Parts: sequence; C-alpha cells; structure tokens
Amino acid sequence: MNPEPRRITTDVAIVGTGLAGFAAAVFCLDRGIAAVQLGHAGALTYTTGYFDLLGYDRGRSIDDPWRALADLGATWPGHPLARLPRSTIEQAFRRFAEAIGDLGIAYVPPGATNVRALLPTGLAKTTSSIPRTMAAGAAALAEKKRTVIVDFIGLVGFSAKEFVTNFAADWPGLSSAHIGFPDLDGGAEAYPEVMARALEVRATRERLAARIRAVVGDADCVGLPAVLGVHAPDRVHAAMEELVGVPIFEIPTMPPAVPGLRLRELLEQAMPARGLRLVSQHKATRVDLRPDRIDFGYRDNFGEVVIEARTAILATGRFLSGGLVAERSGLRETLIGLPVEQPAGRGDWHRDDCFDVRGHPINRSGVVVDDDFRPLDHDGVPVHPGLFAAGAILAGQDWVRQRCGAGLAIATAWRAVDGVARMSGR
Amino acid sequence: MNFDADVLVIGGGVTGCGILRDLALRGIRGILIDRGDLNSGASGGNHGLLHSGGRYASSDTETAAECRIEGEILKRTAPQAIDACGGLFVAVEGDDEGFIARFAARCAAAGIDCAPLAVDEVRRSEPAISERAIAAYAVPDATVDPFRLTIEQVADARRLADSLFLPHTEVTGFDIDGGRIRAARCRDTRSGEARIIRARQYVNAAGAWSMAVARLAGCDDVRVLWSKGTLVIANTRLTRRVVNRLRTPGDGDILVPGGTVSLLGTTSDTVADLDVIRPTPEEVDRNIEEGSVLIPALAHTRFIRAFAGVRPLLLPTGGDGDGRKASRGFTLFDHVAQGLGNFATIAGGKLTTFRLMAERTGDLVAARLGNREPCRTATEPLPALERSSWTEPGHSARTWFAAKNPADSILCECEMVPKSTVDAVLEMAPGAEPQMPLRAIGVRSRIGKGTCQGSFCAIRVTSHLYDRGTYGGREGLGLMRDFLAERYKGTRPVLWGPQMPQAELAETLHCGLLGLDLIDARGQDGEPR
Amino acid sequence: MSVSQASAVIDFKAVADRLLPAGSSYDSCLACGLCSSGCPASGLEGLDPRRFIRMAILGLDAELTSTPWIWTCTQCKRCAQVCPMNIDVSVLVGHARSMWPEEKKPAGIVRSCKAQMLSDSTSAMGVSPEDFVDIVAETAEELRHDDERFAKIEVPIDKQGAFFFVNQNSREPAAEPEEMRPLWKLLDYVGADWTYGSSGWAAENFCMFSGDDAAWKAMVEKRVDAVNALGCKVWINTECGHSFYTLWKGVERFGLKPNFDYASLVTYYAQWIREGKLPVNADWNTKGIKFTLQDPCQLVRKSIGDAAADDLRFVAKTLVGEENFVDMQPCRSANYCCGGGGGFLQAGMKELRHAYGKRKFDQIEATEATYVLTPCHNCHSQMEDLAHHYGGDYRVVHFWTLICLALGILGADERKYLGPDLQDVGLPQ
Repeated sequence: MNPEPRRITTDVAIVGTGLAGFAAAVFCLDRGIAAVQLGHAGALTYTTGYFDLLGYDRGRSIDDPWRALADLGATWPGHPLARLPRSTIEQAFRRFAEAIGDLGIAYVPPGATNVRALLPTGLAKTTSSIPRTMAAGAAALAEKKRTVIVDFIGLVGFSAKEFVTNFAADWPGLSSAHIGFPDLDGGAEAYPEVMARALEVRATRERLAARIRAVVGDADCVGLPAVLGVHAPDRVHAAMEELVGVPIFEIPTMPPAVPGLRLRELLEQAMPARGLRLVSQHKATRVDLRPDRIDFGYRDNFGEVVIEARTAILATGRFLSGGLVAERSGLRETLIGLPVEQPAGRGDWHRDDCFDVRGHPINRSGVVVDDDFRPLDHDGVPVHPGLFAAGAILAGQDWVRQRCGAGLAIATAWRAVDGVARMSGR
Repeated sequence: MNFDADVLVIGGGVTGCGILRDLALRGIRGILIDRGDLNSGASGGNHGLLHSGGRYASSDTETAAECRIEGEILKRTAPQAIDACGGLFVAVEGDDEGFIARFAARCAAAGIDCAPLAVDEVRRSEPAISERAIAAYAVPDATVDPFRLTIEQVADARRLADSLFLPHTEVTGFDIDGGRIRAARCRDTRSGEARIIRARQYVNAAGAWSMAVARLAGCDDVRVLWSKGTLVIANTRLTRRVVNRLRTPGDGDILVPGGTVSLLGTTSDTVADLDVIRPTPEEVDRNIEEGSVLIPALAHTRFIRAFAGVRPLLLPTGGDGDGRKASRGFTLFDHVAQGLGNFATIAGGKLTTFRLMAERTGDLVAARLGNREPCRTATEPLPALERSSWTEPGHSARTWFAAKNPADSILCECEMVPKSTVDAVLEMAPGAEPQMPLRAIGVRSRIGKGTCQGSFCAIRVTSHLYDRGTYGGREGLGLMRDFLAERYKGTRPVLWGPQMPQAELAETLHCGLLGLDLIDARGQDGEPR
Repeated sequence: MSVSQASAVIDFKAVADRLLPAGSSYDSCLACGLCSSGCPASGLEGLDPRRFIRMAILGLDAELTSTPWIWTCTQCKRCAQVCPMNIDVSVLVGHARSMWPEEKKPAGIVRSCKAQMLSDSTSAMGVSPEDFVDIVAETAEELRHDDERFAKIEVPIDKQGAFFFVNQNSREPAAEPEEMRPLWKLLDYVGADWTYGSSGWAAENFCMFSGDDAAWKAMVEKRVDAVNALGCKVWINTECGHSFYTLWKGVERFGLKPNFDYASLVTYYAQWIREGKLPVNADWNTKGIKFTLQDPCQLVRKSIGDAAADDLRFVAKTLVGEENFVDMQPCRSANYCCGGGGGFLQAGMKELRHAYGKRKFDQIEATEATYVLTPCHNCHSQMEDLAHHYGGDYRVVHFWTLICLALGILGADERKYLGPDLQDVGLPQ
C-alpha cells in the first residue's frame, strides 16, 4: 500500500523487548526522552518472576548482594555489574521494581540482604526481590509455617508431592493436596495460563477458594503453582487470600508459565499508555549507522518502516532472543555485526559437565562495551557515539549461574539511558 | 542380595541379550548383568544399520557374507525391530574409480544382491543426494532398532526360562577354585551394595570391557582394540534409504534413516581409555564435512545430538592397530588353555552378526551344561511385545493420537510420549525397578530423544514419578540431574544454530527454575567447589 | 469427518520448509509450549499448535492431513505472536485446508464460498447485485421517510470517482437492513464522499477460509476491479474483521494491482472524532454502563497491528467514557481469537466452537462489563452465542450503533443489539 518507507523519528530506539529493553524504556520515560521500542517475543516469557540481583558465586549462595557486588571486580574482572557503582545499581533496581509495581505487579522491594525463594523442585534459591504473590512463600519457609501445597488435576510438570518431599527435611510442616480446578478438572491438560485467566473471573475464584478451603485443614498457609491471574495478580491474590482465609503464595512453574507472561503482557500494554512507542511484533531487519543518527528498518504488513533515532540501546539478548547467533565457526551479533568476545573455538564453549558450578565459558561471551556501555569495535573504539548496549548480550557475565539477570538488565539499562540522556541533552 | 542361576552373562548389549535368549530357548535360565543398563556400550552407540554386507564386500568377503546371511535371518525372525528400507552405495566426483568398478563383483562374491542404478533415477527418488553423484548401486541394507532388539530378547528370556536382567551391576572379581569359577563378586553401582552371583557357567559378553572382565578371571588371551566412533543425529529424516559412500570406508560416509531422524557417521579413532568416551565438536565437524559431500543438506540441517560408541575390535596378533582395517569378525574364547572350564568370552563382531555370536556361545555353554537342545534363534521368531514399540520413533505419538484420551497427558512433547507409556515402562519393562532412574526410562522409551533432548520432559516425567510415589526423596532430583547431564554430553558438540537457543533455554530452566546446579548427583545440597 | 485414504497425504515438514521463512520454520521449534498455552484451540481434537509442529516433525502426516482440528484453528496467528522463534502454525493449517477434498470440507464454509461465486456481488449470503441495489434503495427510502433529519440522505451506488468505496457485510442487506442505517447516518454526518458498488460490494470471504486459493483470488480480484473501475481513492472495510485481511493479503498473495489505498473504517472513526467531524462524547452514559472491547484478530494482530487497537480504544473511550471502559485481558495484538473466525461459525462444529470460546467468555466475564464493542461480524455472532451458551450477562454491539447513539441520531428501530437499559437513551428528539 505504501511503496515509500514510513519514517519515525525519535530520541532513542530501544531494540529488544526483554527486561533490559523495558527497563530502558521506563528510565527514558522517567527522563522525558522520546523512545521507540522494537522487538518480538523473547526470553522474558520464560522468567520465574523473581528479580535476582546477585545470588550465587560458583554455586555458593550470597547473603549480602551489595557486598558481593563491591567485591565482584576481583573475581569477575569486566563484569558489567562490577563496572557500576552501588548507587547506580541500587537506584536502578529500586526504581524499576517500583515502576513495575505502579504498572500493576507489586514487588517486595530489594533489601539489604537476599532472601530464599521457592523453586518448584522443592529447593530454595537466593534472590533479591520477589513478586507480592510469592512473598508469603519465602516467609513460610523462613518461619517453617504449617503449609499445604496444592496442585491441580491436568497440570503437567508441577507436583505438590515433589515440592513437599524435597523440602521435608528443611520444612517439617508441609503437606500436599491434589484438587481439580473449576471447569478444568476433566483430566485433560490444564495450562497455568488458562487457569490464571479464569481466576480473573470472580465466580471462578469463589469456586476454587471453596475447593482449597476443603483441603486447608490446620495449615496456616497455602502454596499454589503460579496461577493467580495474569493481568491483575495482586488483585486476584488478595481476593483469594480473603476467600480462603489464610495467606497464599505462588510457586513458579515450568514454561509455559504465568510469571513471565504477566510481565510481558503488562509491559506491552502499560508502557505505550505511558508514552512509549512500542512496535511489539517486529524485529529490526537492518541498521544504518549514520554520523548523526542510527536508522533501524523493519517490515510490517504494509512495507518498510524506518526508525530514525539519534541514539539507540541494543538490548537484543542472547541466543534465545536472537541477539547472538551461534554458527559452527563462531558466535555472531545478529543486527549490527558487532565483535563478540568469545572462546577460541567450539570445543571451548562448554565444559564437560553440564552442571559444573563454574558455568560454561560461552555464557560469558558477548558484546564488549566501554564504561558508558557503548559497544566497541575490534580496535576498542566505540562503534557509534550514540549506540549503547544493555542486558544479557553484554560480555563478562553469567546471569543464569550468578542469578543476576534482573540486576544486570536493569542496572546496565540505567547506565545506557544515562548515555542517551547526555547525547539528547536531557 | 545374592543370586543363583545356570549361567551368568556379563554385558547387557545386544550380544549378551542374544545369549540370554539363546540359552532360554534351550531351557537354560540365565542372569544377565550390566554395569550400566541395556545397550550402554556399542549396542547403543551405533547407526542401527543392518548391514547387507556391501560395506565389507571390498575388504572382507567372509564378514560381508556373514552380514548378508544374518541380515536375512533377522528380517525373518525380528521384523518388528527392522525397517527394510534398502540401501544405496553412491560415489561422487573424485571418488576412486577403481573401487567403484570393482564393487559389484565384490558384492557378488559375498552373495549380496547389488543392482546398478542410473544416477538421475537415484536423485529423483532421493533428492537429498548430491548432484555430483556419479555412480550408484542398490543393496538390501536395512535399519534395526537395537533397543527394541535387546528389550524383546530379555523379555522373551524371562518368559521362556525366568531369566533375569540386573542393571547397574558390575563384576568386581571372581571366586575361582579348582579350575572353575565358583561365584562372581559384583557391586551395585547405584547403591554401592555388594552382590554374589553363583552360576554353573560364566559368559563374558562385555564388549569393549571384555578384556578387563577376562582379566578379572585371570585370562589374558582376549585382546581388544577400542575404536571410538562418533555419530550425529539430524532432526529429520533426510533420505528414505540408507546411503553409503561408495569408497574405502571413511568418516561421515553413511547416513542411516532412523524412523523420523537420520544418523550420520562415523569417525574411527583408536582410544586408550573407556571412561572418557564422549563425542567432540571436532569429530562432529568431520562427519558433517564428509557427509555433506554426498548429502549437501547436512551442511545446514539441525542436528539434535551426537553420540559415541566404542567398537570392540579383535586385535590379531601383530596387528597394526588401525580400527578401520581391523577385522569385523568375532571369536569365541573357551579359556580352557587359561585353565578355566566354565568361562567363555565372546568378542569382536558386529551388531548385524550378534545372533550368530550368541549361537556359537550358546552351543558351547549348552554343551558344557550337558544340554543337548539345538540353537533355535535362526528360526524361532522373536515375539513382538506390543509395549516395546515404545522405542520406535513416532509410534507413541501415533498410538496416543488414535486413542483420543486427553486425560493421558503427554509428558514428552517432542516425541509425544504420554503418561501411560511411562507407567507401562515402570511396571513391565525388562530391568524395571523401584525408584527407576529417568535414564533407564529413557532407554526403554522415546523420552528425551527429541528436539529438546529432555529439557522439558525431564521435568514433567520427574513430577509424575513423584506423584505416583516412584520417588520419595531428593534422589529423584539427583536422577533428573543425572539424566540431563547425560543428554548434555550428546548435545554439547552440536550446539550451534537452533540448538543453541534450545540449550540456553535448558540452562535457564535447569539452573534458574529448578536449581539443579545447586545440588549434587544424589540430589543433596551441593558442596561448592 | 476425515479425509479419505485415497487423497494425497501432505508432507508437512517439507511444506513448512517451503512456506515459512528460514529461522521460523518447524526446525526452529523449542517445544516450549507457549503457542499451545496461548491458543484457544488447544486440546480440541487432541491437538494444539505445538503438537501440530511436533507431529509434522515426527512425520505423522496422515494424521495431520485428515484431522478436523484444522477447521477449529481459526488461523488467528496468536501462536506466531507469542513464539520466540515466530513460528506460524496457521500457514500450514491453511495449506491443509486447501488439500481437503471439497466434499469433506465443512459444508457451511464451502456453501458460503459457492454463494460468493454466484454473482458479481461476491456475497456469501447470495445477495445479487440487483437485490443489493433494491434493498439499499428501499432501506434508504424508509430512512428518509422515518427520520426527517435524514430526509435528504443519499446512499450512492456506483458513484464514479467517489473518494471512499465502502464495503458491506452481507448480513445487513440479507437479514437486518435497518442495521445499515447507522452506518449511512454517520457517513452522512461527516459529509463523506462515498459509494457502494453494485459489484464487489460484499465484505466477507469464505473462499479464503475454505482454503480455495483460486476462489479467494477471484473474489478479491472482483473487488479490486470494482473499486478500480469506479476510480475511488480509498477502499473502506466496514465493521467486518476478515474483509480487511482478505483484501490486502489477497492483493499481496496474488499480485493484484489496486489503484487505491485500503483502510479500516475504525481508522476513520478515530480520525473523524479527532477532527471534530464526529462530535461524540459519553454524556449519554449517565448510568456508568461498563463496556469492553474485542480486538478482531483479522484487523489488529493479522493486519494493522496495535495502531488499529489504539484507534479502537480511542473511539471506544470517547464514546463510553474512560472510566466506563474496561479492557479484556489479554487484548490488542495479544488478544485471543473468540472462535468466530476462520469460518468456524459456519463450520457446523458447535460444541468445539463453544469449547474454543470459553477463554473469550472468561475474558469478558472478568471485565464485568455489560457490553462488548467490536467491529467484526464474526466476533459479534460468536460472542453473542457464547453469552447464550455459558450464561453470560452481556450484549455485543457495533461501533456504528454507539456512535449514532452518542450523536443522538440512533433511531428506536436501530437498537436491536442494545439492552433495555439503552432503548430510550439518546433517542432523536
């Protein structure tokens, strides 16, 4: 219909719709920077919902993340979080958790120390900030409350018995119950997403609450797989607590799971309402680095669109989100062709043991940046004065093993937005 | 716990299972043990190719003829485990013309049906073959599911003679007295528990480990060369038939369809240590580079896994140690000259000739026991267990879809394995046991064999096993971790392209969501290194 | 219902490799299940999007070739939207539909496509050009007679050089002609230079749903020719979701040459409100009646994207009041299909269609709204049917009804979809 490319001009183009991209968008809007964000579904949907800051060092859990961050440079030289002052990390992390809360998913703010949060296997993990719907679980574990864990007929991959059995030694007051979810109790596969949406209906909440009440017994607390609503989890959670009469908490489940869907849908919906121009179903297909701006092209159903941006934040993630691609001959950054710091050869990408606590070298590969988080070319010079990078694409970290994914995404986004603000004169 | 039997067979590969059944058909009850599980060694680490003999026709007429005859017998007696898809030998530009010219005559000498084909006709029926093909022959190659073969043989031996299979049971020594083995001292490698197994006859069918087992009995007459072969599995079936490169055997020159996938192999490298057998990226690359000469699509297809097996090749006295040139023949050692009267070792050979190996061993053992029953494995069909089609790709999916029972939840989505299949494996598969490891369930089904290589189904199956009470403690998590770590060994060398996002997702799930990097192999909170 | 053994079995994996872009084909599937979790057709006939892909990879082609599931998948493309690899299952569902022998396809869809081919109308309800012209003329005459404010309203047909060519879903001329009047009134109100065509006027396209590419092309070609012949600048899709998709996609797919732009009426509603040409507000909604909105997949996710969703919300909120508007969740490009699309409504698979629609019903119930606004006839019918089936207490309305209500020009006999609470509100003086 439009043979001529349509053009959008903006202060900053944020490429990527994961946690780093959305954090950058939040911070840009805070500072009045006009932002266009572009991306397709990525790894965000797979999150547990926990916001990790820095949870582990080679398999050892970290109680005081702030002290560990201060010491990080010694063991992880060049780690993106080791290159940021505590004040930046703290400010960014708190602001983002607060912003998400304002948008509709409340988080318990990060504290001075980490907390032990629940995993579906019946293990605990160390994290920093947890959604309100999951908070009572960490408390129940800490206080060893008498708790009944409930799972549902037809829900595959989550077992209350598994959770209870594996926590038994640590948490004696646990028991399990297996019940049917209203209208989904015929035995056919019941997806958490479907249950969560159904719980946004008042009548379904009442029916489920009655079934839960029947198995609560003398428990002081109820744990459920994460199904308490997608759009309004805090409201659903509060309503269920009131109906059941005891504190309720959620436990993350395997994909396709609700916590990631929540964040993704919330951000995709709420951010445009706050002034973000979000292009959510498309990936940039080409880039043109010009002296005074960066152009990103993408195609929609009606032809090409070009985003003309004074600055840009590359937050395209790793392999799962498509920011990096692995070829037999080596790793490549997909959009701009930035140099990727990586092990010498494919034989060095991974360790022999999959669960080696040191993690795999390939997971530390990525884009190298300067102190302003601008990607560097092979000569160590910024590729473009207005191009910044944030999140998991950065080299020198292992966010999965270190449990620092949210901290990494959010703090580096903050720093990238600092640079954008300077360039935009804001 | 201690056991008694007529015969103890050591080694749960296809030969050991074949011997167990051969004896059972003669009314002899055996106990079969393996330090790992069924097909843990070469029987589970091969192409699944039932050779027509064409592969060996140019170098070893005797082995080629044996392959032909045994292949025909198996097609008659165990058709359920065989896909008689046929095979091709194809040469491309630059291949040795002399070798090509002699091929048909060599096949004829071994009695192998070998028909020349027009190259364009071959490319019409197998479009994946390179346009650089210059010559092609059709041979009666077939594919065989070695897991189904072993499972059904063990099940039949149980039916016939109440024979028993004990997984994760390793021989640590023999009690020898008066020129006879009186007992095998064993250890349960899972629990660490000691076991004594007493039998009248002892058979060593331990494949690559047969030299070590023979030495435990004081016999130094078995000499085996370890030739490691690495193969890669493509996500899809690229050809209808087996495609062999028409040349002197080399890396990456056989592509074997295996139900819904294709297996490309193999490399051949002599190794000195059996404990570090894992496929490497370098071996995978060699296979792909060579393989894509014949099948260009291999250069950009999605591979889901690589695996390595060790061919136990008999080393002739004075041999030069080259695995490709070593004989594919086999030898039965009666160890009489070593001073033992109730011990035998069967070594060498091939998947295709396992039945013949079992027959020769059975003859010796039966004679030693005074049993006059003849071998019946060449004529007696191997009963097809309805439920052991578990290992057949696509079977589970087809059955589930036809059954229309939505309450029978799918646990492995890649291969569409439902709860009922897992339950059946737990209840009746050979080697089933309480607290059955996920790995053992995987050996007996398609669990973990698909695109995601277990990264999702491990979680679903484990939850199901906790639900049904199979696991009652942290050991279940340890077994899930062990299963995933084992799958990882196979995916690691093929992690590029679409497998890399898959691996990254697996890492976030297994560490981030499940916390499996925080526990040890027994499921206990790990001691950080 | 199943395909006879004699018919060709499709090699789904090969077709996927041919039809889907590299990197988004079945080989890229991570088996994570986000598609299935987010698909209302999951579980019907034992299938879901992930299973469809897995079965294709496992070579279960005979099963996929013959499964009636392909008629329960509405090809809404939500699977691709949530997939990190962007794998689009609907493409192969469309291909599978095309390969079914015609006598095995759902009769209702085939019949509707055949009806479209009967005359130049391209009407699935078999309204001929002559009938259409007559019905429009009669209805316009009644309107001029009934409502003196519109005593001089013109309803042009085949007006050469008109700016807008306006299409029309057949349901109104065939079954409820009075429902065309609000549309005409508001076009008249803004002073639009518009016309219907006696040829190619119909909106619906069941030939696309039936998987008959040749017929799909013929329908779109006829419509493009009709607009080209009249020399109109913009073809406007009225409140019918798939008519927009079928046109632009058909143009692209079959390489047709339109000499005009195409747009959704929704875009113009928004524009006319912003320009002050449609001076609507929510003053009439004194009782605080709650409204929600259904984003038609065909218009939003499959065609214009969130820009259309933004326009829909702007119009809706202006009409009912920001505080009376409740979005259903998920919404916009992430909305679930209601189950009325893809020909499902006409496929005669009522139980399956109701099961499919349960998610939509829950979404609507969660809003606790009294009315659902939607610019799509299939969405409209399906959501009404869901309310009936599951006992919902909501009604479904067209935008044109509310716009005219807000303008105070909605006649008493143009309120068929409004409840008792709105029968007397804003009646013309």
